[in-house]
Amino acid sequence: MAHSAWEKKRLHLKPALVWSIALNSLRLRIGRTLLTLLTVAASCSFVIFLLTTPPTSEQEKEKWALMLVLSLVVSLAGVLNTMLMSVTQRYREIGTIKCLGALDSFVLLSVIVEAAMVGLTGAAGGVLIGLLLSLLMGLWEYGTAFWSGGGWIGLWWKVSLTLFVGFFLTTFGASIPAWIAARMPPVEAMRGEK
Amino acid sequence: MSPGATQGQLLEALTRVSDLSDSLDYTVMARGVCKDYRMGSETIHALQGVDADIVTGEYISIMGPSGSGKTTFFNVVGGLVKPTKGSVYIDEIDIAQLDAGELAWLRCRKIGYIFQSYNIVKAMSALENVTLPMLFAGVPPEEAQDRAVDILKRVGLGDRLLHTPKELSGGQQQRVAIARAFANQPAIILADEPTANLDFRTGEEIIGLMKEMNRERGVTVICSTHDHKMLDISDRILWMEDGWVKKMARRDEVDIQIGAMAEEDGGAQQ
Repeated sequence: MAHSAWEKKRLHLKPALVWSIALNSLRLRIGRTLLTLLTVAASCSFVIFLLTTPPTSEQEKEKWALMLVLSLVVSLAGVLNTMLMSVTQRYREIGTIKCLGALDSFVLLSVIVEAAMVGLTGAAGGVLIGLLLSLLMGLWEYGTAFWSGGGWIGLWWKVSLTLFVGFFLTTFGASIPAWIAARMPPVEAMRGEK
Repeated sequence: MSPGATQGQLLEALTRVSDLSDSLDYTVMARGVCKDYRMGSETIHALQGVDADIVTGEYISIMGPSGSGKTTFFNVVGGLVKPTKGSVYIDEIDIAQLDAGELAWLRCRKIGYIFQSYNIVKAMSALENVTLPMLFAGVPPEEAQDRAVDILKRVGLGDRLLHTPKELSGGQQQRVAIARAFANQPAIILADEPTANLDFRTGEEIIGLMKEMNRERGVTVICSTHDHKMLDISDRILWMEDGWVKKMARRDEVDIQIGAMAEEDGGAQQ
């Protein structure tokens, strides 16, 4: 009888599948991908620019610190908003792939992998742009004396920090709605509510 | 059996009868299924104790006015929502007892879903849509792709493999959905008003295709519908009203009784 074949069955997650689905999704939603990239890149270039152009006087220090905090808040709001939008738009799709047998962990992982790819690429682009701006402005203002200004001291540390900020914001921003969507019963997710 | 039948003939006939009852496997058994929804402060009793036995390989149409609980019943049988009370057995397993991982396995391997609004993954081609459930089931990618091509050819989309949903008509998208639902050779196909968004002729084609696949593959099909074209090809019709199974009848019985059912004086509940 049929139930003899039943026992406890589970599906196993294939990392290659997660990877290819995330890539595919980015490629086919290129408009959305570019918008997210732009948001992350703009935020990260702002952060690295500030990190590499430290204040020159005590008075400026407070202003600089405020700008840095603001840049982080603006990045957080911008990136979270973009990621929330991009995942909530996909509730229906998430419900559908759950009906096809996707596990909650698969849904979560594929969204996070996708967000991480955009986050890292955007952050890398943003770092390049921010550094270029900081370099040009430094040279414009101080000429070659710029090199001794100290802004680029500890550059690797600053670059790593900015990359981490971009990566963290996108994956964190994507994982909240993805977690909600993954936990939703498939029918509700397909109705696209909440 | 004629009075002159030999003992041998009698034995043979008895064996045939016992074979018949053995072969009557139930793919789906619903026992006292209730489902309540909360809507604000009100509780809606979408299902109020549904019993149904569905035999392997049958083509069942669920009919009834909107709000009668068709879709809810469909979702409960499909393991998409949990019943408030009662049990649904699929291949003799109570699906309420399954954990999330086992439920995912059930959805992937045992059930194929077809929806009113197709629900093709927009970001993927027809081929990728059909391949996906096989990849979830652990079929190696090359084999999954070959099988997806075969089944898409079977539903008449051999020349549309790489088209995305945007480039496909409603009827074609529903064909992709049918191919996807059959991809893992499930035990049950659950179709929720599959023709509701299609014009008459396309609807007829889709119904015909589902029936052919049901015959070819011996897959049980449970289809909720408003569409009277569906009656002709169904083995049995389950008539729902106010969250109850008002009637469950073989198609040949319904042909005579359909007028009576419409007049609301339908016969005894089965």
